[in-house]
Amino acid sequence: MTQQFDRRFGRRDFIKASAAAALAGSGPFLGLRHAHAADPIQFFCWSAGVDQVKSHVSAFEAKTGLKVAYNNAPWAQYRDTLVTKFVGKAPLDVLWVSDSWLPEWAEAGWLAPIDGYKELTQYNADVDDFSTKSMLWKGKQYGLTYYTDYMAFFYDAEKLQKAGIKTPPKTWDEVTQQSLQIKKAGLAEYPMMLSMARESWLIEFLSAMVFSHGGRFVEDSGAAVMQDRSKGAHAALNWIVDAVNKHKIVSPACVEIGELNGLKAFSSGNHAFALLGRYRVRTLNDPKQSQIAGRVKQGLMPAGPKGSNATVGWNRFYGLTTQAAANKEKAVNAVKLIEWFGGKAEGKYAFQKLMFMDVGSGFAVKPLFKDQEIIKAYQSYSDMAMYEKQQALAKKKDVVSPWFGEWDEANGTAWQAAIVGKSSVDDALKRSADTWNKLRKQA
Amino acid sequence: MSALQGTAGLPPPRAFRAPVSRYDQTSALWLLAPMLLVLLVVAVFPVLYSFWTSLYDLKLTRPHRVPFVWFDNYLVIFQDPLFWSSVWRTASFSAVSVAAIMVIALLMALLLNEEFRGRRFLSAMLLVPWAIPYVANGLMWKWIYDSGYGALNGALFQLDFIDKYMVWLGDSHKTLPLIANAFVWKEVPLAAILLLVGLKSIPADLYSAARVDGANVWRRFAHITLPSLRPAFMLVAIYETMMAIRHFDLFFILTEGGPAEASHVLAWHVYVETFRKLSFGTGSALAYIIALVTFLLAFSLIRALGRRL
Repeated sequence: MTQQFDRRFGRRDFIKASAAAALAGSGPFLGLRHAHAADPIQFFCWSAGVDQVKSHVSAFEAKTGLKVAYNNAPWAQYRDTLVTKFVGKAPLDVLWVSDSWLPEWAEAGWLAPIDGYKELTQYNADVDDFSTKSMLWKGKQYGLTYYTDYMAFFYDAEKLQKAGIKTPPKTWDEVTQQSLQIKKAGLAEYPMMLSMARESWLIEFLSAMVFSHGGRFVEDSGAAVMQDRSKGAHAALNWIVDAVNKHKIVSPACVEIGELNGLKAFSSGNHAFALLGRYRVRTLNDPKQSQIAGRVKQGLMPAGPKGSNATVGWNRFYGLTTQAAANKEKAVNAVKLIEWFGGKAEGKYAFQKLMFMDVGSGFAVKPLFKDQEIIKAYQSYSDMAMYEKQQALAKKKDVVSPWFGEWDEANGTAWQAAIVGKSSVDDALKRSADTWNKLRKQA
Repeated sequence: MSALQGTAGLPPPRAFRAPVSRYDQTSALWLLAPMLLVLLVVAVFPVLYSFWTSLYDLKLTRPHRVPFVWFDNYLVIFQDPLFWSSVWRTASFSAVSVAAIMVIALLMALLLNEEFRGRRFLSAMLLVPWAIPYVANGLMWKWIYDSGYGALNGALFQLDFIDKYMVWLGDSHKTLPLIANAFVWKEVPLAAILLLVGLKSIPADLYSAARVDGANVWRRFAHITLPSLRPAFMLVAIYETMMAIRHFDLFFILTEGGPAEASHVLAWHVYVETFRKLSFGTGSALAYIIALVTFLLAFSLIRALGRRL
């Protein structure tokens, strides 16, 4: 048998086979392999709701007979991973995109607009305005929403009651006054919880503060206005600096507290007020995860002196890559997958509902606010009317641009410098504005 | 004229060298070729390529415009005030850390060089911080320094040293010393072992002779121990200085360069440029600058300390 094998498969055959295998294996790296429509749809997400995504992918495969290759990466490394994949021309068809990266990826030519696909744009009518706007770049739409949420203002109703406060604060001045009252009553050393650590969440917190103070970082024209004393950014940063250093109602440790640690601190009962992503209310009112379960209420975002109850909303969506759009047949399949997830599947917004029910992530499709199952589930731990009311006041971030990542780094440093007393509010905002203008000019 | 020539009056013996045939040379080259090829691919090529990259204004998010800018990236870096402040912070961090490591490691090595009950156990315990991976070390210190539930606050509060929990890493004046403390804790064991090896190699006769000459403990330490430890000190100084200059993990885990720019050191600067801004041109240039500075520093340390060996 061995002799037979030797005769049939000699050393030369082995070398030939090895070379062939190596060539076949290195094909994708050498760019020899071309995508075919019969290949699975390459679907890339960050590692959230993995089980829900997998089950919905299975349902899609069963319904359409198409194959989907689903992969994910952690949120923290997602942008870097995807940029590297794009640059390396790795096969990617459909992917989750954050509104923060849209201009960068669209300008780089990695994302394709979906305006030409009526089966996708038809869903815009059902979607909150800020959510659709978050998927636009230079007048073109680049996806269908996967998840939408906003920065919410929460309070511990029991602490307010114990301090003799009857109604939650409507303005940031009232937040200060009530916090001082709570502090005086010995109910919390730092009644207001703010997460000001430098992480991807920081811009959401800062934008919520700026918008509720009636301000903006930049105007529609793209010019920076954050340094203007008459605009809300100045008032917002001033409020934070005073809250930390003058009134001592926000911990000076806020510069090292990220969103997740902020959630833990608030849910452990250390604070009376908090700014957190709206979807965190589910955790906050879950007795298994929170010591203040049942006591957390959502209030409208307090307004600054010249501000309103506006907050910042963010959007994550399904994007179509240019490499998928370039192949007609592949594009058709990719669009089917986007619709299955971001639009309706079997006539229902099935995936957005599944994610809300299972994970608590927010949605932008307005009909779901009327869904009885969703209302019932949400009412068990929060207030659906407040959810909808605040979402209608959410605005998209005004700083999203191709240079957002670079500016965000400098802006976070500048705000922190003002908070820890290393620079004045004016200097911090001027520095941030200068960075913005420089990057804008370079671009 | 060598001593051997003077003694025997004969020319010095030549080292025996077997004749090497051309065939042997060719065979050796062929046998070494695969490893040379691997080295070329994984070491030489990336080093040269990254230098080449540093001459381009290469941003991954701007793939369609990658101009060749000669040494502009280096000029931009040298004109950036943040770069110089990060150089200053790196220098302070390295100086404080290396000095602390040398002193503590020397004390530990001296202790472990003595015979006492439990010495072996103590030696094993000493290795624990060294065995802990940097990331785990960083996370551990993050918990210790936490302003809300950290062990440091808990211990100081219970011992009545503080009347309320303090902000540690969030205080820009304390950040760098606290990170240096975590770095020293991790690095001391290796330095102590290296110094201990040095201590063990000092001949006991030297101490006996010094005792006979009436030298007290301090004199024996100053005139025998310290000079004999110079090679070990040099090794520790070079190694730890390089580690401190290039150190990244603790800065990433504990503070991410903050608060504000309080812990924005060179290694963090490289990370931000390369992986957050995805500016590979500037990132490569920065990496080259750090490599050059580290090399020059090591070279001067070797020259300064090695001359007296």
